[in-house]
Amino acid sequence: MPTINLRGAQKNYGVNSANAVSDLDLEIRDGEFMCLLGPSGCGKTTTLRMIAGLENLSGGEIRVGEKIIDSVSAGIFVPPEKREMGLVFQSYALWPHLTIERNTDFGLRLRKLPKAEREARVERVMQALDIAKYRDRYPSQLSGGQQQRVALARMLAVNPGVLLLDEPLSNLDARLRLEMRAELKRLHKEFKTTIVFVTHDQWEAMTLATTIAVRNEGTLQQMGTPNDIYDRPANRFVAEFVGSPPINILTFGKPGISDVADKAQAYFAARYPQLRGIGSVGIRPEAMGYAGKLEDVPQGSFSNEMTVTGVLPTGGSWILELRSENHTLFLTTHSLPRVDNGERVFFYAPPEALHVFDEKEQRITEADTLLRSSTYN
Amino acid sequence: MAFLNESTKTKVLGRSSAALPSPWQAWRYRLKVALREPTTLIGILTAFIFTYLIVVPIISIVLDAVRVQFGHERRLGKDVGELTFYYLDRAFFSPVASDLFWRPLFNTLTVALGAISLSLVIGTVLAWLISRTDMFGRRWFATALIVPYMLPAWTFALAWTTLFKNRTIGGQPGWLEAMGLTPPDWVAYGRFPITIILALHYTPFVILLFGSALRRFDSQLEDSARILGAGRFDVAVQIILPLMRPALLSSMVLIFAKCLGEFGVPYVLGLPVKFEVLSTSLFRSIASRQTGVAGVVAASIMLIGIITLMIDARLVREARRFVTIGSKGSMNRLSRLGRLRLPATGFAAAIFVLSVGLPLLTLSLSTIMKMPGRFALENFTLDYWIGTDLHTVALQTGILLSPDLWAAAKNTMMIVGLASLTSGILGLLVGYVVIRTPVRALSVYLRQVTFLPYLVPGIAFAAAYLSLFAVPRGPMPALYGTVTILVLALIADQMPYASRAGISAMTQLGKDPEEAAQIAGAGWFRRMISIVIPIQKGSLVTGVLLPFISGIKGLSLFVILAVPSTDVLTTYSLRLVDYHYTQAANAVVLIIAAIAYFGTLLAQKLTRTNLAEGLGS
Repeated sequence: MPTINLRGAQKNYGVNSANAVSDLDLEIRDGEFMCLLGPSGCGKTTTLRMIAGLENLSGGEIRVGEKIIDSVSAGIFVPPEKREMGLVFQSYALWPHLTIERNTDFGLRLRKLPKAEREARVERVMQALDIAKYRDRYPSQLSGGQQQRVALARMLAVNPGVLLLDEPLSNLDARLRLEMRAELKRLHKEFKTTIVFVTHDQWEAMTLATTIAVRNEGTLQQMGTPNDIYDRPANRFVAEFVGSPPINILTFGKPGISDVADKAQAYFAARYPQLRGIGSVGIRPEAMGYAGKLEDVPQGSFSNEMTVTGVLPTGGSWILELRSENHTLFLTTHSLPRVDNGERVFFYAPPEALHVFDEKEQRITEADTLLRSSTYN
Repeated sequence: MAFLNESTKTKVLGRSSAALPSPWQAWRYRLKVALREPTTLIGILTAFIFTYLIVVPIISIVLDAVRVQFGHERRLGKDVGELTFYYLDRAFFSPVASDLFWRPLFNTLTVALGAISLSLVIGTVLAWLISRTDMFGRRWFATALIVPYMLPAWTFALAWTTLFKNRTIGGQPGWLEAMGLTPPDWVAYGRFPITIILALHYTPFVILLFGSALRRFDSQLEDSARILGAGRFDVAVQIILPLMRPALLSSMVLIFAKCLGEFGVPYVLGLPVKFEVLSTSLFRSIASRQTGVAGVVAASIMLIGIITLMIDARLVREARRFVTIGSKGSMNRLSRLGRLRLPATGFAAAIFVLSVGLPLLTLSLSTIMKMPGRFALENFTLDYWIGTDLHTVALQTGILLSPDLWAAAKNTMMIVGLASLTSGILGLLVGYVVIRTPVRALSVYLRQVTFLPYLVPGIAFAAAYLSLFAVPRGPMPALYGTVTILVLALIADQMPYASRAGISAMTQLGKDPEEAAQIAGAGWFRRMISIVIPIQKGSLVTGVLLPFISGIKGLSLFVILAVPSTDVLTTYSLRLVDYHYTQAANAVVLIIAAIAYFGTLLAQKLTRTNLAEGLGS
């Protein structure tokens, strides 16, 4: 399918209500596995439904290639049944009165394909998703994971130009979720379909997507590869939304509110006086190290002495809770901590692990080059 | 500071240049989307139909109340149709006002309040026994105690007269009279029996509503209070009762609304001692062609009904604040009754005997006894059912051999069947449009207009139909005396239940299955045929069956609109009552009761639902 383009797409429910989606520009290219990531209620699902045509626009337009399929000002609306897309619902929405085979076959019948071809295609997707053995059962006789596969198979059977997935894994248990993630990745390769995927689960987005679009309150925050999103969050929202435990934020401002932030401010003033207008600095817990003595702290890194107030094992790694007089930080380590509650330690973060945001919470990209080049001097 | 950085491939496009669409463009787009599918068109069409079938009759009768009616031109010195306050004055302020309106109003209110109090006392106790205790035979009682509600209310009225009728009026005496014990008038007729019968008839309301609230009640709320040291009494007063209040109030209001429109019971038991309630007063005004006064009384009944149900809506809204989230812990722990277990069971059994066993037994026996109250073998006969050449003026055969019965039965099946089928289908259609149309105003209007008859007691609604359709208007010929007017009135009267069933079925279905079909490429008609109708088959059946049952036992609508040629079973039996063919009348009522009872069972079986859902029909 040619590139799907949303331009200034908007959705509000009623005149006075806030925009569910405001002024969204989004480009979905052929073969992409794009993930819309964001907290609940940020308009991800609405966006997906707008693309499918199940939700009408309040403004803007949607194009497929050069063809406008939905536009308020041009008065064009291609109905969902003519858009040739596939959508897997969060609830799966299998038809309860049809068998698994008929569910899978439904779209093909509508397209009036010859029987032999229909059967071949149904067979292929049912095999691919390992549901052929349930062909004569009804949806209510299947488990959640199996229903999920049927919902996928039903859409894949018609070979849609784009497959839209609305939080498809959220109703599955942890183990099935892992399996389905791998499955989805495999299907993306096998069927070469463009996939747009909605989730609020950052790990799902990270593991699956080729491109992630992070959304908040109806607006796009950042779009990029999973690594971009994680390594170079475009603003504080993205930085705080992605990563667990969440990134530690030191907000610059009036001194005395946080001693660690004050320390960081002094650190930047001393080492990078050319950086101005810093609003806050973020440090990911997993990018931090700690040392018992000051001399073990690597040269040039940002560091501060704090008290260990909690050691939380998470299975394979540990989270340390560190407190100073008026600040709490979290630090993740993968080796057994040699410290106990109440001990004083020095945490440290190398300069390239520092994310610098301006006063409007946007990333200062100049800082990246600066911090990176200065690591070993 | 900009965060766009080409090297990181982070692409966030700037805010789009696309301007907001103009209002005209937005409107055109919305229209296009709305009219793309027939949903909206169907909605507009049904909205028109219901406006004509529901709103216009109501307006018509309200206008009747303030316009000069045919035959009063001379007295009022005005032409027919001119504005007048004569009828309002007559109904509210004239010397006959107390007979026409005020005393009936007083009687209606006192009877309703009496019935409410009594049924609340009995109903709450029974509901609690059934749903929260270890009483014997709980499950059996849960169904058995609902039975009174499945039977027409005036079944009990007829049973009562069969037992207690005294020499005040003619015809066959009651059993007690026949045995030589003359019951006083206040026991035989009027306020006392009406109150008792309505209370027994509507107790199932309380059992259903209060019981289901009790069952939904999360034991964890109770447990939390107990853990914090509250005793049983404190828990009941401070936790359970406040949370149950909405259910209690709601059942009170519903019973009141039902009592307001109740016609059969006060007609059978009130008339002999001239005990009038609003519905019988309205009936008398119509029967004596006092159209204007009838308009005033009918409008008053509607007004009281509307106010009552608005209070109910208010209560329900307030009750939402109390919605207790049914967590997985909403299990239902039973209280042990201990020594009271047997007496409690006895109480439930006694209520069952009083409200079901005794009336039905009385009626059944009365149809096979020649002389009332004499329990000797030679007094029993099946003549009233299947006899021939009886020595009576009319009805010389047993009821089952009477062509009149079969004509009435045929009429009932045809009229009620046609009306229920239509309203069931319309209900699903309305449900579909209400849930699916993108035009919100249409959805709201349809939902409300189909609900309107619920606020209007059947008898007032029938009067409204009479007012509108008794004379030819525009292209519509005069419909009085035809089957059409009965079918139309029934459809309109049943729409609240039908549309509510349709809306809830569509809500339950949700949008997903249909949208999935849409995505798969199915257009509107294909989705209807392959997805919506097959899935909604069950609720369509209920949507037809439940109105059918309520239509079969309905009386108030027919008593105004039916004529002898369009007799249905209910009006036929009422006619037999009027002619004092007691055995035959009772037999017909038993037939109706049997149809209603087995029909309800069938509906429950088909849909595997609880009766509580069909409540109010």
